[in-house]
Amino acid sequence: MPTNRPHDSARKHVTGESVFINDIPVNDQLLLGKVVFSRYAHARILNIDLSEALKIIGVKAILTATDIPGENQMGPVIHDEPCLAENEVTFIGQAIALIGAENEEAATEAARLIRVDYEPLEAILDLETAMAKNNSIDAERKIERGNADAALEAALYKFDGTLKTGAQEHWYLETQTSLAIPGEGKEMNIFASSQNPSETQTIVAKVLGIQKNEVEVEVKRMGGAFGGKETQGNHVAAWAALLANATRRPVKIHLFRDDDQVMTGKRHRFLSNYEIGFDEKGLILAYKVELNADAGSSADLSLAILSRAMLHAENAYYIPDILIRGNAWKTNHPSNTAFRGFGGPQGMAVIENAIDRIARFLKKDAAEIRYLNFYQKEKNNMTPYGQKVKNNHLLMIYDKLLRSSDYVNRRKEIDRFNKENEFYKKGLSLTPVKFGISFTTAFLNQAGALVNIYTDGTVLVNHGGTEMGQGIHTKIATIASEEFGVSPEMVKVDATNTSRIPNTSATAASSGSDLNGMAVKNAIDILKSRIAEVAVAEFATRFPDDKTLKENIVFENNYLSDKVNPIRKISFPEMLKIAYLKQVSLSSTGFYKTPGIFFDKEKGQGTPFYYYAFGMAVSEVIIDTLTGMHTLIRTDIVHDVGDSLVEGIDLGQIQGGFVQGVGWCTTEEMKWDNDGNQLTHSPDTYKIPTVNDIPRDFRVEILKDVPNPGTIRKSKAVGEPPFMLAFSVWLAIKDAISSVGNHEKEPDFTLPATYEVILLSAEKLRKV
Amino acid sequence: MQHTVRFVLDDKIVEIDFLKVPGLKPSTTVLNYLRSGPLHKGVKESCTEGDCGACTIVVAEPGNNGSLIYKALDSCLVFLPMIHGKQLITVENLALSGKNGNTLHPVQQMMIETNGTQCGYCTPGIVMSLFALFKNHIDPSREVIEDALTGNLCRCTGYEPILEAARKACTDGKDHFSGREKMIFSMLKEITTGRKTLEIQTEKQTYYKPFTLAEALRLRKKNPEAALISGSTDVALRQTKNREFLPLILDISAIDELKTFRESNDNYVFGAGLTLEQVKDITEKRIPSFHKILKIFGSLQIRNIATIGGNIGSASPIGDTLPVLFALGAKIKISSPTLKRIIGIEDFITGYRQTCLRNDELITEVIVPKTPSGVTFGSYKVSKRKDLDISTVTGAFRLKTLEGIVAEIVLAFGGMAAMTKRALKTEEYLEGKKWTRETIQEAMIILNREFDPLSDARAGAEFRKTVAANLLLKFYLETN
Repeated sequence: MPTNRPHDSARKHVTGESVFINDIPVNDQLLLGKVVFSRYAHARILNIDLSEALKIIGVKAILTATDIPGENQMGPVIHDEPCLAENEVTFIGQAIALIGAENEEAATEAARLIRVDYEPLEAILDLETAMAKNNSIDAERKIERGNADAALEAALYKFDGTLKTGAQEHWYLETQTSLAIPGEGKEMNIFASSQNPSETQTIVAKVLGIQKNEVEVEVKRMGGAFGGKETQGNHVAAWAALLANATRRPVKIHLFRDDDQVMTGKRHRFLSNYEIGFDEKGLILAYKVELNADAGSSADLSLAILSRAMLHAENAYYIPDILIRGNAWKTNHPSNTAFRGFGGPQGMAVIENAIDRIARFLKKDAAEIRYLNFYQKEKNNMTPYGQKVKNNHLLMIYDKLLRSSDYVNRRKEIDRFNKENEFYKKGLSLTPVKFGISFTTAFLNQAGALVNIYTDGTVLVNHGGTEMGQGIHTKIATIASEEFGVSPEMVKVDATNTSRIPNTSATAASSGSDLNGMAVKNAIDILKSRIAEVAVAEFATRFPDDKTLKENIVFENNYLSDKVNPIRKISFPEMLKIAYLKQVSLSSTGFYKTPGIFFDKEKGQGTPFYYYAFGMAVSEVIIDTLTGMHTLIRTDIVHDVGDSLVEGIDLGQIQGGFVQGVGWCTTEEMKWDNDGNQLTHSPDTYKIPTVNDIPRDFRVEILKDVPNPGTIRKSKAVGEPPFMLAFSVWLAIKDAISSVGNHEKEPDFTLPATYEVILLSAEKLRKV
Repeated sequence: MQHTVRFVLDDKIVEIDFLKVPGLKPSTTVLNYLRSGPLHKGVKESCTEGDCGACTIVVAEPGNNGSLIYKALDSCLVFLPMIHGKQLITVENLALSGKNGNTLHPVQQMMIETNGTQCGYCTPGIVMSLFALFKNHIDPSREVIEDALTGNLCRCTGYEPILEAARKACTDGKDHFSGREKMIFSMLKEITTGRKTLEIQTEKQTYYKPFTLAEALRLRKKNPEAALISGSTDVALRQTKNREFLPLILDISAIDELKTFRESNDNYVFGAGLTLEQVKDITEKRIPSFHKILKIFGSLQIRNIATIGGNIGSASPIGDTLPVLFALGAKIKISSPTLKRIIGIEDFITGYRQTCLRNDELITEVIVPKTPSGVTFGSYKVSKRKDLDISTVTGAFRLKTLEGIVAEIVLAFGGMAAMTKRALKTEEYLEGKKWTRETIQEAMIILNREFDPLSDARAGAEFRKTVAANLLLKFYLETN
């Protein structure tokens, strides 16, 4: 039975008691850190003049690259990202100098007085230029099955096309923040807003030139992350640590919103070219796609993101002959980074749009074409990279959703509406998601835990996952209380801390609860085994007649009992006191690694995923073709989370992920000027969804009775997959535009489908 | 002269003497003030421009019959003297503490029960918006709930559970604040007795807050270079976003004479100090085309404090109210210590963020003529996001036809030029023509060429030109 319990911080959140980094009380030694960054997309640094700035009263330190005691490097995978720019800047927003000051005014004034002389160099600001100059990060990657060229040649119909998908700003409500407190000797304690405290620890140690065992990183909670703090939370931590090290005073950096938007990476823009071949029924016979990612100025996680885009290029569809090629290109923008879906959305958007085209061309409903091409259960179930799609729920979800959304009748109703209305047009679309769960870099699929039981019977759980709102601690606490059979209030999940759990992977790839849940269970199993042994001994003294067997000891309802002789029971706290007196350790680590995961990047073959999560959505929109504005009338979602660990939490991930996806697909448009300055660097011009942008009628159903074998309590990951359900909105908008031309002509379309895209595309169809 | 600011916080009168508290200046925002101490860290900073609502607080001020009026505001845009004489309510005040721990406020309890919070950073702001909703509405409609939450961005939940929390919590408006209103009311009265001009002078900054128009005009004349604020939703950005220091501030938010509304046979007369929310309510039945634009103006937090006079005075090319006022033929009443004058809105706006207001004058009234019979209005705002977005193009139109012939036409646009502008060539073309689809099609071609708008973060020039022409067609369709 799924439990329902609120988020473990909910009460503290609603009363304002939750402590974020910016709320931590620090002594009056605290300095505020400020980052001075590049105003040029590409330039040589000729001179940095700090003299005037250093005169400001209250300024305690100003650091540049030459002041870094360790290595000037914070690239997480490839070491191509300086911590502070030295001779050259490669994007607007790149850190050049760090100011530590006693107050905001002094820091601001000093920043104003730092003079940097630049010699501007030619900048690459778009993908087309980067591709023309062959400015790639790494060799092209390929996943291939069959012979796509030959199959395209043989196909009855084929066409080619290009799709651009836009960048997206994370817009976590809490901007990048870190607090560094120097300890004794070389010690540095970091309070980070980071999805990856172990990596933060690594990078802080590296820039300070100290051992990792001198650095402790703690993450209590993040005010939203969405991938934006997977690597780039490291940066503020490194900068704060440098200032704290130089001044031996606590230093806090809390980025100003506009600075955060200018300095940090976004979801990768993609430019994708494709060719697709199909028959008269709409069965896809061949697909060739070339995915080009705008990596920004350094590698960051771009290659892993590209890899996931490629592994999701075919989404939920079996395509016999297929060639997927991928390239990540360097440009002079902040290094683009992880963002919910991690390339998956960019890969999927291309095939979803192509199928939409096929349907229009064949004058069929796109849902029908999708259904025709879904991965099947017995045959046509092998992905292009050689992993079988097991426990496939696509067909079940499709049937369920088609009925519950009343798709067929609404399609007719919409056609009628569109005939009767000249300028208001409605559109409807159904889109599926099949999302692979696991880090595609196989070794990252590991997690650690440390579970302590105290003699009052309370349990303290530590694990490597970080809390960013997604409710991992709530899920872990649920797992722990259910495994120990104790009430939820007896269990507390502690802040994530590198001294308690070392060498953790990022909380990312939706895998936080899967991996850490299993590690926690492993620790609990070890403890239960120890305690059960004590119980057996205790029962033996109390009931000497016949022996209780260890395997008959059960933990439930705050008691340990012998399930054969239920009269033999001892309360959990009492049992622990006994165990303590018997000198039994009440603390255990736990560990987990996902079995059977591997992927050969060279060959593009392997089993990169432990399992797949499935979902589907139907959305209906209305557009005003005179203004380009749209309203999302209704969305129906059916989504698969296995056996839900905590239903309310999962539901929140589905709703929230979907709405974030809707933002990417509609109003969240990033623009730059010709020099590479962001034009959309604040919420004034960058528009994430408000309460009025969600579906007027929003129906989300969690698929029931679909336990997921081999995972913690048969659950499934849920963080990322629902994001891509927003394609239903994107393509419903396209469907509405298309009706302007009676669905006879392919509309101009891109992602996001802003009011500008909608209006200009509809105008064009009207004029034809 | 009074030089301290006094307000109620945590049921006590707080007095701030800026000369005695280092680190605070008069233009310190309520957000920064609250966060500077240990007890009110619930209020969060996220955008410092009034676009996200993470810093939402509620301010209560004396209303009629000893009751209090509760308003949600963005504390990042409110300077401390602006809450003088008011009760400042923060998220820490909502739960009722008792012997057995705290009893949560209904809006807090429902936010927990519906899973309305995930990462928690926007939550205190949302809770405060819900609290203001709770105090102002019983069983609110979805539209009212959405309006209350438009100014609060949440990136985690997708809002659906928050809507549910609002529905479930706002049932009767009764809470522990109800029982304490009388006490707070008398505390506020105690603060505001006398209503002497606040004159706060610190080493670097001077802040005036007069309570009468005469006093305001006197101070304006004496300090012509002072930054003039009322709701400060525009001027505060100079400090919070541009990091500009404002040495001299004249705050005219507390002048009752500027907050009146009256109606004569011919005119509606709005005091310049009426908030946009008040104007929105007043115009609902009286001037629907104006009301329509105000409904989607900023957010409730902004409308609760931004004034009609301020929006006109800032003369922004995309100021949402200006095109409508152009179409309505509004006039602006201006006062100096010695002179009063009335000027048409079109003459008042002289350029990009420029007006003909002299530096010893204040806008005192906005006069909107009542609609003569046979005149039709239309108003349309086009923005990237439906709500809490600055308009890309706003069109406001006025039409009078006699037997199907255009007798009078005004086509006013925002977002098409450096200032609000009428499409005079198109108007000229339309005058005397039959009001038909064919005429409109021709007019659209002229209109499309009449302006040479910018391409910017919001949209390209092509889009703006097309939309401007389309809005005329939209207006035609609505009048037929």
